[in-house]
Amino acid sequence: MKKVTNMTELFEKLNDLKAVFSYGQKIIPVLQSLIDFMRDTVPLLETVNNSIAESTRQIPKASHHITDVTSATELATTEILDIVDVISGEIDQLEENLNSEKEKIVKRKEIFAKLQSQLPDTDENKALVEEYISYNASVEAHAEIAEILQNTKNNVFNITLSLQVQDITSQQLAAVNHLIENVQDKLASLINDLETNDFQNDTPPETDDLRISAPQNSTFNPDAKYDKSSENQDIADSIVKNTKTSQDEIDKLFS
Amino acid sequence: MSMKFLIVDDSVTMRRIVANSLQNLGFKEYVEASDGKDALLKLSEDDTINFVITDWNMPNISGLELTKAIRSDSTLSSIPILMVTTRGVKEDILEALNAKVNNYVVKPFTPQILKEKIDQILSNS
Repeated sequence: MKKVTNMTELFEKLNDLKAVFSYGQKIIPVLQSLIDFMRDTVPLLETVNNSIAESTRQIPKASHHITDVTSATELATTEILDIVDVISGEIDQLEENLNSEKEKIVKRKEIFAKLQSQLPDTDENKALVEEYISYNASVEAHAEIAEILQNTKNNVFNITLSLQVQDITSQQLAAVNHLIENVQDKLASLINDLETNDFQNDTPPETDDLRISAPQNSTFNPDAKYDKSSENQDIADSIVKNTKTSQDEIDKLFS
Repeated sequence: MSMKFLIVDDSVTMRRIVANSLQNLGFKEYVEASDGKDALLKLSEDDTINFVITDWNMPNISGLELTKAIRSDSTLSSIPILMVTTRGVKEDILEALNAKVNNYVVKPFTPQILKEKIDQILSNS
């Protein structure tokens, strides 16, 4: 009787084993797919890791390149300002010469008027006087030249003012550099996490940790822009005017 | 009164542009400083400086810190200060006024604006 019971148990165990095998047969393709997926993914992750590392290595080069661009534009701007100074100096000299010439014209006219009064009143003398006057430089012509020189001087000075763009763009480039350096730090930190597998234990970074902002005492204004409209100056003027009569707003803001 | 300006800016270009503008307006005397620290040194060396035109964003000591340093020094506190900067938002302007700058110019500026602000400061002092 006991033999029959044992055989029944044996058959039950064999059935269980059969069930395990048939489950195994079903799961094997899934496991195979998972292994295939891992085999494909690992090189991909390595490629991503290498790409990040390569990008990180390239970043200082980009940053130096931007610094070089800023230095080059500053040098070029200085050269332009030097030339503008020379031109302005030459215009000043021309104006001085012109003024001196103008005084001489007035004096010549006075002397000529005296000479003219002493000449015999003949047709020939009249013709000669008229011819002389037609060749003589006039005060009006000098005034025209003086005006042209003044306009040229103003235009040259406007070039100087437009060169403020160099300072503003250099601040914009400094902001880009700061951004690049921040990205490099974050990528370097990411590579370090990937290599040390620290990311497994890390909690996801806070949104604030990912944000890049200008340092408190930065040497550049990240919002610098070359805007020739008077809008910003008008706002400043209005605030200056209002705060001169009321200090309350300032005190409220900084108390 | 003879005017002697101190132009404070870390940009060589801007220092020259401000200097040229001042000369165009008839102000011939000026000295330059490349940041706030250099400016304080120049002020301590030259007591004939009677007007400061300063940028905001600079290394070592910023224009804002320079303003506070001047205002807290009894020998310098009465010197007029004109801030010339790219920072044009309301909070920045209020912060500069709180530090006691006399007036505020937003870059890029025109010589007319510079003249207007200098005249306003001089007429009030």
